[in-house]
Amino acid sequence: MVSIPLEERMRTVRFKVDDQPHIVVNAAVCAKCSVRACVYVCPANLFVPLDDGGILFNYEECFECGTCYIACNQEGAIQWSYPRGGYGVTFREA
Amino acid sequence: MRIAVCLKQVPDPATVEVDPLTAALDTRRMLYIAGPADTAALELALRLAGPTGQVSALCVGPPAADAVLRMALAVGATEVRRLWVPPFLSLQAPAQTALLLAAGLQRATIPDLVLCGARSSDQGSGQAPALLAEFLDWPVVCDVTQIAMEGDRVRVQRRLDRGAREELEVRLPAVLAVEANLARLRHASLPGLMRAERASVPVSHLEDLGLEPADLAFPTASVRAVTPPRPRTRPIFTPDSTRPAHERITQIITAGVTRKSGKVLEGPPAQMADAVVEFLRERGFV
Amino acid sequence: MALLSKEASLALVQQVHRLIGMKNGVAPHDAPRPRPQRNAPRPGAERFDVIVVGAGPAGSAAALVAARAGLKVLLLERGEYPGAKNVSGAAFYGSAILHDLIPNWWEQAPVERYLTRRVLAFMTAETSVAIDFRTTRFAEPPYNGFSILRPKFDRWFADQAVAAGAFLLNAAVVDEVLWEDDQVVGVRVRRDEGDLRADVVIACDGANSFLAKNAGLQREFHAHEMSLGVKEVLALDEAIIRERFHLHDNDGLAIEYIGAITEEVSGGGFLYTNRDSLSLGVIGQISSLAEHKRRPYELLETFKRHPAVAPLVRGGRVREYSAHIIPEAGWNMLPKLYTGGMLVAGDAAALCFVAGLYLEGINYAIQSGIAAGETAVAAHQERDFSARSLARYVERLRARHVITDFANYRHAPALVNSPRLQNLYPEIIAAGAEQVFRVNGGPKRKLLPIALEALRRAQVSPVHVLQDALQAGRSFGW
Repeated sequence: MVSIPLEERMRTVRFKVDDQPHIVVNAAVCAKCSVRACVYVCPANLFVPLDDGGILFNYEECFECGTCYIACNQEGAIQWSYPRGGYGVTFREA
Repeated sequence: MRIAVCLKQVPDPATVEVDPLTAALDTRRMLYIAGPADTAALELALRLAGPTGQVSALCVGPPAADAVLRMALAVGATEVRRLWVPPFLSLQAPAQTALLLAAGLQRATIPDLVLCGARSSDQGSGQAPALLAEFLDWPVVCDVTQIAMEGDRVRVQRRLDRGAREELEVRLPAVLAVEANLARLRHASLPGLMRAERASVPVSHLEDLGLEPADLAFPTASVRAVTPPRPRTRPIFTPDSTRPAHERITQIITAGVTRKSGKVLEGPPAQMADAVVEFLRERGFV
Repeated sequence: MALLSKEASLALVQQVHRLIGMKNGVAPHDAPRPRPQRNAPRPGAERFDVIVVGAGPAGSAAALVAARAGLKVLLLERGEYPGAKNVSGAAFYGSAILHDLIPNWWEQAPVERYLTRRVLAFMTAETSVAIDFRTTRFAEPPYNGFSILRPKFDRWFADQAVAAGAFLLNAAVVDEVLWEDDQVVGVRVRRDEGDLRADVVIACDGANSFLAKNAGLQREFHAHEMSLGVKEVLALDEAIIRERFHLHDNDGLAIEYIGAITEEVSGGGFLYTNRDSLSLGVIGQISSLAEHKRRPYELLETFKRHPAVAPLVRGGRVREYSAHIIPEAGWNMLPKLYTGGMLVAGDAAALCFVAGLYLEGINYAIQSGIAAGETAVAAHQERDFSARSLARYVERLRARHVITDFANYRHAPALVNSPRLQNLYPEIIAAGAEQVFRVNGGPKRKLLPIALEALRRAQVSPVHVLQDALQAGRSFGW
């Protein structure tokens, strides 16, 4: 199928999930943010706005692209690093 | 203490893609990993052996399986060996794997303990550890959920059905098959990783193991054909034609299913708790 | 005069280094962020002549060149294998460059198709106007460009560095460079006992450029300087691809799209033919995505549904989805390219050429990787790893036309991302083309009145058009 929902598209990607998160989102900073660029720009839709004004974030299916921390205009909201060696996304494209 | 670990290279389930029309696996897109139960066994072996112990890792597999043995070297295995057979012998039966492993173990210094994953994540029959123990003529405990060393004995807990557990004491040497969630493999140090990358993985073939192709002639189940799963035909509910129209419509809408009835408890908390316990006891949960 | 504190003298030295860099033609940049703590390697760390961080095209090229010269080279890769974390379109236009390094490389490398057809398409929601270039001259060795799949290509390229004697270590992520007396002398891998020493560290760690930032050579990026690319590989039968895109044997096609496909977001789309799949995707400026609250994967869906794209991708099955960022500001975001004991190459040096007509990065990555490798070799011959010695990297980059391309096209990124170029002109071109081709019984009109009417309807003053034309001329023409 040419058009598929994001969840199904994400299933074509291999993630080797580490038990330590490589991205940490500071909920206190996010609560004060009205822009919430991360919610829109993330290609894997990992940032989900909550009703209480917070942000729900999952690191497991991250492409490690860096878009979120570049888009984020709030100082210190997103602590970003690569996952430990051997973990994270693995593209195959074969 | 000398511990041997048996590892198997399996496809990462996240990379197994099935063609919806032919049911064929897309091998081009598959990536391989060490089985999760096997890596748990490796981690336990490293912990039980301690800094002075010896941990050797064995793997039956093609040259690509060197990767899992390098991984074992990286985290601290002192010795590894890959066992393999000529291409005309395609390994199908767990007994073949077990026989190769037994031969490989007997060829080197006999360990005090052999740890295996309880079942591989591809075939998953869980037979290899028991068959290995049979060939070695050692005791075996499968589905192990806990291990404690006590001198030349080991106390193990074993998983039974319906959440029950069994405690056993086994005299060494023995084969233990451990469950995947028992331990998470450590992250290799940089010197470990580099040492493993530089190491050459020794390989033993049939003649090195003192075996002949005929020794591996076990009865095997052979695959005759593979057909893609078909969706099961669903019985369509037909309403009772003798009933009036509105009842038939109701029957169609509900598809004849009566909803599961729940029970809402009322009263003081202590009484409600008693009722819950009673309910569970009646059905044999507690 | 009071004695300078250690920090002040360090800052002074760095300032001097920056000046050296600027004199050598490196772009001025914002002040680097507060410098992180500088750690020295722990005793007992293993030593290499050269450590290359990142086994992408830049890293493998650098490792290959250094290893061929007999140096002890370590190539570090954070993925499970080289290419595991790497995404490009991918059209690779550096065939001739690679041919110099590995003669007839295409005979052994995993390439998909050689590109003989290039299409530039201007899109509105319903219309597309395309320039279609095709030549059989690109079908002859050493070829002009290839479509490739990075996980396969990068793995092959890293293997060439290994064959030349480099030591490749996968699953090793580097977090910081290590210092002694203002000289980079190694890296720290995020593992126990992770310190390593080297005379030269070559940072090829990709677009996020963490090592250059860590070493104080690069500043933080702005959201308007970076674009996000999201991509899909669609499986499609080989015969259908040939038929649908009018290709012979292993001929290939690259289409770049400008206009409505990214809606109001600054960016574009691409479609490349592989052997038995298509690579297609959209690229959007990060600031623009955030401003218009557009999700990149929704733009990808819009792109695939466009009437000019839908028939091309029909029947394709999604094989893999991926995403990556692209440094887009060119000249204005080049880092300082070297310091004592360290060089920066590839995307990590923002050497990605994105300017409407051009969407190139792998060729510049390889060029800069070769230049960095050669610089490290020369430094070893003279046993001089100071910033002054490594400064010759910039000369090498200029000789390979890398620096000069970026300098010559320094005005292009701003123009390409302007709203008029992004949406208005494609709209005008498409509307104009429609007027020209529509036959409805009325009188035939000449081109100029059609163009002027389209501009009037779009409420664009001819002054703006003239400005943009001059800007375009300055960016691309002269």
